Formats: sequence, structure tokens, C-alpha cells
Amino acid sequence: MLVTFLSHQRKAFWRSRNRSGSLAAQIVLGFFMLYFLVVALGVGFGMSHVLLQTFPDQDIIKSFNGIILYYFAFDFLMRLQLQDLPTLSVIPYLHLKIPRQKIIGFLNVKALFSAFNLWPFFLFLPFCLTNIESVYGILVTLMYIISVLSIMIFNNYLALYVKRRSISNVWYTVIGLAIIASCAALEYYKLISIMNFSDVIFRTIATHPYLGFVFSILAFGIFKLNSAYLRKNLYAEELSSADEKKASTDYAFLNRFGRVGELAALELKLILRHKRSRTALFMGFLFLFYGFIFYKQPAIAKNAFGQMMFGAIFMTGISIIIYGQFMFAWQSTHFDGLLSNRINFKDFIKAKFLLFTIGCTMITLLASFYGFLSPKLLLLHLTAYLYNIGFGTVVVMYLANYNYKRLDINKSTTFNYQGTGANQWLLMFPYALTPILIYLPFGLLGLPYLGLIIVSAFGLIMLLMRGYWVNYITRKFEQQRYKIAEGFRE
Amino acid sequence: MILEVQNLTKVYGDKTVVSIPHLNIQAGETVGLVGNNGAGKTTLFRILLDLIRPSAGLIKSKGVHVMESDTWKNYTASYLDEGFLIDYLTPEEYFVFIGSLHDLSTAQVEEYLVQYAEFFNDEILRRGKYIRDFSKGNQNKIGIAAALMQNPELLVLDEPFANLDPTTQIRLKSLIKSLKGNNKMTTLISSHDLNHVTDVCDRIILLEKGIIIKDFLKDENTRRELEAYFSE
Repeated sequence: MLVTFLSHQRKAFWRSRNRSGSLAAQIVLGFFMLYFLVVALGVGFGMSHVLLQTFPDQDIIKSFNGIILYYFAFDFLMRLQLQDLPTLSVIPYLHLKIPRQKIIGFLNVKALFSAFNLWPFFLFLPFCLTNIESVYGILVTLMYIISVLSIMIFNNYLALYVKRRSISNVWYTVIGLAIIASCAALEYYKLISIMNFSDVIFRTIATHPYLGFVFSILAFGIFKLNSAYLRKNLYAEELSSADEKKASTDYAFLNRFGRVGELAALELKLILRHKRSRTALFMGFLFLFYGFIFYKQPAIAKNAFGQMMFGAIFMTGISIIIYGQFMFAWQSTHFDGLLSNRINFKDFIKAKFLLFTIGCTMITLLASFYGFLSPKLLLLHLTAYLYNIGFGTVVVMYLANYNYKRLDINKSTTFNYQGTGANQWLLMFPYALTPILIYLPFGLLGLPYLGLIIVSAFGLIMLLMRGYWVNYITRKFEQQRYKIAEGFRE
Repeated sequence: MILEVQNLTKVYGDKTVVSIPHLNIQAGETVGLVGNNGAGKTTLFRILLDLIRPSAGLIKSKGVHVMESDTWKNYTASYLDEGFLIDYLTPEEYFVFIGSLHDLSTAQVEEYLVQYAEFFNDEILRRGKYIRDFSKGNQNKIGIAAALMQNPELLVLDEPFANLDPTTQIRLKSLIKSLKGNNKMTTLISSHDLNHVTDVCDRIILLEKGIIIKDFLKDENTRRELEAYFSE
């Protein structure tokens, strides 16, 4: 029976409508997957090198032991946000002659098919098999592996249990991330050390290998708890996370913009009330840390703004890029309604510009903590900000007129590439390359600040021309709307 | 004359889905469009609402070409399918939004909704649900009520009786009849239900594969004629 279930699932995956996207999009996605896989494998095999780089004056095994708990704490929070509840898929089986136990077994097995259960294999196993093995021998290595995999399973079912009980909420994740960040900060200032705690635990396993089974017992316990809960609540309406009472809301701060503000408020609700757009928003906040990859001390010292420009544009403009790449398609389920109602198309376009400006401003303000690295970065961010709201918005809105792919926003997000076409990927090129190309000659001539001023001026001029661009895009939209609406109806 | 169709055709590939050389609709008429699936009823409505570009020809609303000006939106209200509802809003939010497009304040919208208490049968307002979580019949009610709230001169409804319970069907019919009497409203309704259409409309247009094959005013023989046509 389990095999039949799984084969149905396989068919559901390969035959789902949203996989019928263009070949180009699929290939690009394939590359992305491959890229992440290679990165994970690279980190896994280069773990000893990475650990030495990050914690130079510490025993390498101590560092390894230390990061395990951090990894899984982060893993748990990510699961809460991103892992899907495998529920809806069993509804067609509930009324058939299939014992409950088997359905529950299927749900439990299906829950294991998640990318989160793949990373630990890549990240931790290589180090265990090489370094741990050479120091402690085969038995301890085996127990290390068992412990790591047990914690993984534990996280897997605990996250599902928490989600099923719907005691989870975006804010818990945000607060959790803040706690992890502050632990890391305390660690840095040597006040409290979770790393030491994690190290002590795994040292104990090294000396008393059989203690690793404690994790297995915990994992088994949570697995049983999850199954018991499922057995008691195997009803379609109770399986998906419970509904709280929905209230009407009003965003007073948008009212001052009149009709445009009303449309923007409508779209803000759209973003906040759908999982897919909420996840995009959440990812946008995660990208705030992108700067740590791009802003290296040598680059800052040399005023190499060209190198850092991409990071800055991407970080401050993330809301425009992520939300803009599916523009209009977010509203594809009620696009006909928007067109036939008494909505002025110019207001409709203006509302989107307004929303982009608000989002971009917020993210830019949040990103100012990079000022602690160097105040120069604030100048860079200001430049990127002006570029994003001045020109980036225009690029995104223009391309939105060529996006005819329906996006069913009510479907869940993970591995849902519905609405993805080659457009979305092409978008990045003109968007990110334009400012870098403008900056480049000044950077090469050794005039970095002049370069920043020129890019800012470009953004500012485009911003002042916004009235013109709004009209231009509205005209474009009026021509294209039949095609867009037709695409969205499919 | 409120609507004027001139040489209208819509072609998909090599299939003609709408072909209407000429059609006039007078202000105040209640017109029922009947026909089997694929007759072109919804396509005609979509062209009328400027959602589809016709292959040739045009529709004039109050003498103005619908593709060239938006003025028809000021007096036209429509509900074709759930695609017209903004389904992540609560019904209250949706009504307030639609009302605001016609410059109605929140208080005015609330006042308007009071008279619909019976029509809603306590299943719509203050339920603490988003529109997407309502049943199809209740979504229909929301869409129809939002269309009526705009106090239109021209009302376009596609299959309004589908998914509604019998009580609501009867209430909807009397609503349309009373609005027609008081406000001189012109109504276009498509339906598969011959009883309802003949009951509420005073003119019936029978479509087959995009072509008007019958267009007549209702009399006591209408039901029988229609039944004869459909049972062929």
C-alpha cells in the first residue's frame, strides 16, 4: 500500500500543472538546484578548512561539535516556516477501505521527503567519516552519525507537530532567529557559550558512545507523539492548520494617498494573507545578511564599490525584485474583476510604485546596520536605494506587462514554480548590470565617489521622471491587458 | 438604446465562438441569454466588459465604444465568476473596497448591506472568514450583492442562479424585478435554467455556437418553445 501511495505522489509531482513551465525555466531551475547541491557538498568536504578559517584558534573537533546545535536550531526555525504539511494529499484516500494506520504511516514517510532532510547528509557526514573517524575510531563515528540523523528526524517531526497544533506563527520564527543571533553575539563576546554546551554533549558521546541513542529515543518519542496526534485527528478539516478568526483590517497610513493608497492597501493584504508571498517577504529579510558575503574589509578599504554594488542593489531592492518578478500574476485569480471594476489603470500602476517605494525604503532603513562596518556603506546603500526606486521599479513594471503566466497564489510555496518563466530570470540582468556599468568607468579611473554620485543622480533623475514613466507604463498596460487577462484565465 | 453590437466576431484558431452582425438592447430591458455550453454567452459578456479583444466589430455602450473609453464602468456592474472576487479579503472588506470605487463611505456601505440581511441569511457578514473560504453559493451571493450595491444602470450576471439554494434563487429573482421597476435598470442574465430566465426576463436571446438563432419578447408560449428547442 505504501508503495502505491508513493507512486501516486510521484505522479502528482511530475504531472502537476505548474511543472509544465517552459523548458528554459526548468533548465535554469535545474542549475540552481545543482548549484546548491554542489555548495552543500563543497562545505561538507571542506568542513575542516571552513572551521579553521572561522575559528582559527580552536581545536577543529571542538568547533565542529560546537556548530551542530546551532545548525539544528536554525534548521528547526526554517522548517517551521518552509516545510509543508503533507496533509491534503491524503484526502482522496480517507473514505476508501484503507486502515487509518496505513494512512498515518504514509503521512509519516512522506514527511521525510524534504530538502531539510538532505542537507545534514552533505554537511556533516563527510567530516564525521574523515576527521572523527581518524581521531575516535569507527564506533564513535557511527554514533556521531546516528546522533546527527536522530536530531534531524527529531526536528522533522517536532516541526510538523508544532505546525499541526498550529501553535506556530511567523513571529515565533522571527523571535527565534533573534535569539539565535543574540546567542551568537554573546558567544562572540565570550559571555555565554552554546558552542561549549554543544561541544560537551558531543564529547560525552565520544567517551560514552551508547549515549548517542538518547537522541534516537527522543526522535522516536516525538515520532510517536506525532502519530498519536494524527490518529486522533485524521479529519481533513482538522489536519490542515486550524483557522483563526479573520478580521477586517484597515491600513490608516495608506489612506492619505487616496484611491492609490486604497489599491496599495489591497495589495498589502494580498501579500500578508498568502503563504507564498509571505515566504517571499520572509526571504527578503533573510537576504539582509547577504551583505556579509559582499562587504569584505579589503573591498571597503579600497572603496571598491563596483564589487559591492551588486550586493547593495540586491539587498535594498529585494522587495522590488522578488515581488516584481511575478507582477500582475499575484492578482491573476481576480484580474478580470480588477479590469471590469471602476478602477483607473493609472491609479492601479501608481499603487504598485507606491508599494515598491514603501518596501524598498523599509528594507534600506533596516540595512543601515551595515553602517557599523563602515559608514561608507551607507552612501553605497543610498545610491542603491535611489537606483532601485528610480529605475528598478520602472524595469520591473515594464517587464510585468509581458508576464502572462497565471499564478495560483493559494497553492503552497515550496517547489512551486508556477508562474515562473524565462522572463523572471532575465529580469536580473538589466536590473543589476545597469548601475554597475554606469559605475564602472569611474571606478576604473579611481573616482569611486564620483561614480556613486553619478549612479545616484541617474536614480534621482528617473525618480523625478516618475510621472512620465507611470504614463508610459499605463499606456503599455492598456495595450497588453487583454493578453495578460487571457493568460491569467487559464 | 443602451447597448449596440455591430458586426461582432470572436475567433479562436479556426473556430468562431461569437458572430453577431447586429443587436440592440434598450434601456430598462431585462434580457436573458440562453444556450448550451459553448454557445458564446460568457465570451459575449467578456467582450462587453472589455476583458477580451473581439476579432472584429465592436460593442457600443450608450453610444461609446467600450474599448475606447472607460466611462461605461461608471454605470455598469457585473459578476461573471469567482474570478471577479478578491478572495483574500473578508466580505466586509470587499464590499467597502467596491463601495469606495463608487465613492461610498464605509457607513454608506454598511447601511446598504442592512437591506440584504435576508438575502445573506446570516451566512456572509461577520463570519470571520476570507472570501476564498466560503462555499461557491455564498461566494456567488457576495459577488451579486457587490454588483447590485453599485446601483448600476446596466447589470451583467453570468449564471447567477447556479449554486444558489432555492430560497436565495427566489429572493434574487424578486430583487432583480424590483430594481428594474424602481431604477430603470437594464439587466443581462445568462442561465441554463429555463424556468428562472423566462420568469425574470422580458426578452430572450437564444444563442447557438456564437450565432443568435432566436430573439423574441417573452409571452406565455416562451417556456414551451425553449423546451422544444433544447429537447431536439
